[in-house]
Amino acid sequence: MIEPTPADIRAYWQETLAALAQYPARPEIELLPLRSTAFATLLGVRLTSLGPYRLFGYLSIPTGAGPFPAIYYPPKYQSVLEIIPQGTANLQRSRYVTFALAGRGQRHADSPYAAMFPGLLTEGIDHAAAYVFRGIVADSVRGLEYLVTRPEVDSARVVVAGNDLALITAALTPGATRVVTTPTLFYKTAALAPKTQAYPLEEINDYVRTYPERAAAVRRTLAYCDLLGFAPRVTAATTLLMAGAPGSLLDGGALQPLVAALRGPVTVYESQQSLYKDGLYAERWMAAQCDIADVQSILPEHWRD
Amino acid sequence: MPNALAGNYQSTVRKPDDFDAFWDAVLRQASGVALEPEVIPDPLRTSEDVEVFQVFYTSIDQVRVAAWYCRPARRAERTPAIMVLPGYQMDPPIPKEWARKGYVALSVAPRGKLRSNRQFNPGYPNLLTHNIVDRHTYAYRGFYVDTWRGIDFLLSRPEVDPARLGVTGSSQGGGLTITTAAMRSEVRAAAAGAPYLCGFTDAIELTHTYPYEEITDYLRLHPERRAAVEETLAYFDGICFADRIACPIIVNIGLQDNVCPPETGYALYGRVGAADKRLYPYDGHGHDAGRARHSAVVDQFFARHLLGREVSQ
Repeated sequence: MIEPTPADIRAYWQETLAALAQYPARPEIELLPLRSTAFATLLGVRLTSLGPYRLFGYLSIPTGAGPFPAIYYPPKYQSVLEIIPQGTANLQRSRYVTFALAGRGQRHADSPYAAMFPGLLTEGIDHAAAYVFRGIVADSVRGLEYLVTRPEVDSARVVVAGNDLALITAALTPGATRVVTTPTLFYKTAALAPKTQAYPLEEINDYVRTYPERAAAVRRTLAYCDLLGFAPRVTAATTLLMAGAPGSLLDGGALQPLVAALRGPVTVYESQQSLYKDGLYAERWMAAQCDIADVQSILPEHWRD
Repeated sequence: MPNALAGNYQSTVRKPDDFDAFWDAVLRQASGVALEPEVIPDPLRTSEDVEVFQVFYTSIDQVRVAAWYCRPARRAERTPAIMVLPGYQMDPPIPKEWARKGYVALSVAPRGKLRSNRQFNPGYPNLLTHNIVDRHTYAYRGFYVDTWRGIDFLLSRPEVDPARLGVTGSSQGGGLTITTAAMRSEVRAAAAGAPYLCGFTDAIELTHTYPYEEITDYLRLHPERRAAVEETLAYFDGICFADRIACPIIVNIGLQDNVCPPETGYALYGRVGAADKRLYPYDGHGHDAGRARHSAVVDQFFARHLLGREVSQ
């Protein structure tokens, strides 16, 4: 069953953003010499988000005169916070400002709340106002808000790259000029979860099986987070939608309603079930969007021509 | 390096003369630690077909290790078991899919992972270089033992057939599959994907991506410690464990793997001691190492060796 978009979805998120705005970010910045190189400096950044809750992110600044294009990596669905995604050439940091944020519950942002994986997806899910992802979305917004204040960032070339949170963040706050999104958690979730036994969506199945009387409340909460509700508000110039492999739960065909709901141009890429082919496509797309001509030089060694 | 040359790569890894003595001493120390297993039903994750439990046991240094334990609701009195080992950054999964295939399954969270990090928590990045200048306190000394103790846990369970144990994982889980198959003769079949922790010192020359980049970062800041780092890593390199593997084993690698260079996969495979071994190199694949196609191969491999039946792909 697909829950219709709640009538008060705008109010729900406006109230969330208004609550976030009550708390200044109060950034604390610390140099991390171990991860700084000749081509990039790494900083640890602490920020306040909704709650109030203190977050942590890794900010990497290229050596040389900016401004530089930027990639914002919003919180992932895992406990570990990466500086850049595993397998990305470290030299990516020589050309882009990168900022990877830990949402509440992830490592470095796990005090006082330490999230469990699996477990986070259903934390507070039967009360929309208390759902943990309301806070995590606010965290992600706070991260992008902070990134675009950095003088090293070229505000015309800001990519937000991640799972559902990339699209949601780009919809809720200005600053993203390009979006790379891989829907995973919040696209027609209540309808699609029963069709899989794989985590993370299996968390929803576990929860509803254990608490069947809460199923309607779960569907209502998920409806506030559904990408279809955010898509019309994305103002980025263009979006790369990373779909699942043909025939999978979130393949290109399944995502067509989302494509139709997005305002700007959308490129749909269907996974070839190869981290090499999929990753290479995304790296090249981002480089082209950011006017980086010599993408070969910032690819992993085993991906170069 | 062009793909065609990856198989000709000559690893620089050399096995220390006292490698076996070092690990024998570690095992002796571990054998003095009581397992003290706890098996706690998890009704939230349990379904009609799979029973799920949270497991805890004690490992070397008295560290309490967590794991997920799944068993088919309908099973034989003695059921074959598979131990699933996690990637470097991943949160250990609940191995329900293995239970659905007819196995009892244990998914271990070695020290430092979520739920096993109360006593030891160097974090990520950092685990790879934690005490890297001293083999006696290097992070992976206890981490490896934590996975080997998973075999002890399985052997303690009355529903597990001790003669039909398998081990599998990819990336770090692939490396841990190698070390476990090497050190626990009870393992009857092993499937390792994109093995990490194999050819550390080769990898940091071949690729500049995390997690191996943690070592490069460390050596950039502490170049004077290179010799000590290389000395330590030789004791933990899967390539040095590989000649001890006697059980049937399959290894899959991606020829465009940007995390664990394929050269190290070939080097590892060349050193595997088992007579019954097979390498599956996947061109056009990165760190997935052809998982989408290879999962059927793994299913067939374990069905043959643990379930005693052939399954069609």
